[in-house]
Amino acid sequence: MLERMSPDLAQRKQAAVTILFLEARYLDDKEWDSWAELYEPDAEYWAPSWLDEYDTADDPNTQVSFIYHDSRSQLQERISRIQSRKSITALPLPRTLHMISNITTSEEEDGLVVARSNWTTHIFDPRVQKQYLHFGTYEHVLKPSDGRLRIARKKIIIMNDRIPSILDFYSI
Amino acid sequence: MSIHASISDLVDDRPGDQAFHVARRAFTDPLILDLELSHIFESAWSFVGLTTQIPKPHDYITTFIGRQPILLMRDGQGHVGCFLNTCRHRATIVCPFKRGRQKFHVCRYHGWAYDSAGKNTIVTEMDDGQYPPSFKDADRNLLRVARFENYRGLLFASLSADVPPLSDYLGDAKAFIDLVADQSPVGELEFVPGEITYTFDANWKLQFENGLDYYHFNSTHASYVDILNQRAKSGTSGPLPQEAPDETEGQGSFSFDHGHAVNWSIKRQSRYGRPLVTDPAYLAELKVRVGETRIKWMLRQRNLTIFPNLQIIDISSAQLRTWRPLAVDKTEMTSHCLAPVGESAEARRVRIRNYEDFFNPSGLATSDDNVMYEFCQTGYEARAGNTFGHLRGLANGPISSSGHAQELGISPVESAFGKPAFGGETNFHPGYREWRRLLQRHVDGGADA
Ligand code: FES
Ligand SMILES: [Fe+2]
Repeated sequence: MLERMSPDLAQRKQAAVTILFLEARYLDDKEWDSWAELYEPDAEYWAPSWLDEYDTADDPNTQVSFIYHDSRSQLQERISRIQSRKSITALPLPRTLHMISNITTSEEEDGLVVARSNWTTHIFDPRVQKQYLHFGTYEHVLKPSDGRLRIARKKIIIMNDRIPSILDFYSI
Repeated sequence: MSIHASISDLVDDRPGDQAFHVARRAFTDPLILDLELSHIFESAWSFVGLTTQIPKPHDYITTFIGRQPILLMRDGQGHVGCFLNTCRHRATIVCPFKRGRQKFHVCRYHGWAYDSAGKNTIVTEMDDGQYPPSFKDADRNLLRVARFENYRGLLFASLSADVPPLSDYLGDAKAFIDLVADQSPVGELEFVPGEITYTFDANWKLQFENGLDYYHFNSTHASYVDILNQRAKSGTSGPLPQEAPDETEGQGSFSFDHGHAVNWSIKRQSRYGRPLVTDPAYLAELKVRVGETRIKWMLRQRNLTIFPNLQIIDISSAQLRTWRPLAVDKTEMTSHCLAPVGESAEARRVRIRNYEDFFNPSGLATSDDNVMYEFCQTGYEARAGNTFGHLRGLANGPISSSGHAQELGISPVESAFGKPAFGGETNFHPGYREWRRLLQRHVDGGADA
């Protein structure tokens, strides 16, 4: 059965989908500043580790994550590192291509929109002429702010967690 | 040229001439890797896990020693056993999982079962099997590793019986395991849940060396140093440990028998915070228990390497990492956040954040190291000429005794100390000497046989 949506809600859901695609575009185009601007200043960015074959970590304060940040400024630290031309991981930067699909959205309290999706990042590293990919699921919590939606929380499950050499924000 | 001569040629070690060189081929020759796997990884003591990973009866974990699959189990009586993870019927892996709790492990191929003490309890359809009589009396239990011992909850196994007792093998390197374990109110270590596995396309010895290499820090980690400076400027570093004014700043190392070594530095002010420093009340209590000197050393950064494949790094957080070679130019790393059992929730939170910040392919420092190893691997394929990568510190030493060792009550085989930018490389030498000894021992033994 198709649910009838209010025009307002339909619009917010469409806006959520647009942000997911925009985020992927900014990452692949290396427009890092625009990418960070999609996030709230106190956004949570979380890529948990796996505890065993079945479960990922569910508490960043007692379990290990690949990446856990609780502010946009920490994302900007990562950006400054690879822009400094002092990190060999970015000399040269890998080429990446994000693909996002299977997006579902749900409306929460206070106008928050939760978007769940599947992602794949194809990565080619010209440094070593090697290609690999990462894949998993995203959960974005999007919050209305200044007349647009921003990312208040992003949880990234990395399904293939045996990592070749480097994993950074642009590869997931 | 005999194999023996070619192995001794790989390490050019002439202390009298202040010369030390490792041949480029040691990093690139697949035949050498085969020898390393058989005669180093699968013949020496190897770290396999912590007792706290399997605290309850029937808990198990699986791992590898070199190429060989290993199953560690705690039996119903609470004893921990270390077995080859292979069925006595036709070799299948008995336990295909990373960790769990099971009273019995049933081989899925034909259904033989083993209990958590490794005893073979079922041979399916045994009576109808027309087995020869000798089979009924045969020991069909899981095969135990040749040697299995525990130091402070760190479990080590050896596939060869021809190793010294673990305590002798570790020697005074034990003092540096103690400096981590004694940070716990109950003297125990645990892994923070969440194991990270990664690979790099380079020889394992690049990781071995890097863990003992302070020289690379400012160059390889220049982008991270900028971030640390920026955090200090903006006041987001948190409290940073400081050394007493009468301590001479500098960087040093101790080397021990069997190839182990530890690097440490004395900095007026540390670049990073420490979990211990976040909890002043506990720190004061600990000072009473372990004394000023040991607290001082607990707060210094210490990079410990236990030959051949264990490193315990105690800096802004603590990491325990191991590796296994998959090929001469491919290495698999396993990384854990190491923690004292019973630390405060806030100290634990800081420990985890600092661990993620620095370590792993997703950290702001280790990822640069991994890329460097791959660049080295490509560079080692160039065959002309020596490298000069193992010489820093040779002019002045190494020295046989030092005040630093005395205050810790240890007698390292070699010590080194220099200015903060010293970046000594003589601490790699004992590892290479042990490496050469183990490979040559095999070749000598083989020649006699
Ligand atoms: S191989 Fe295990 S029962 Fe046959
Ligand atoms: Fe490093």
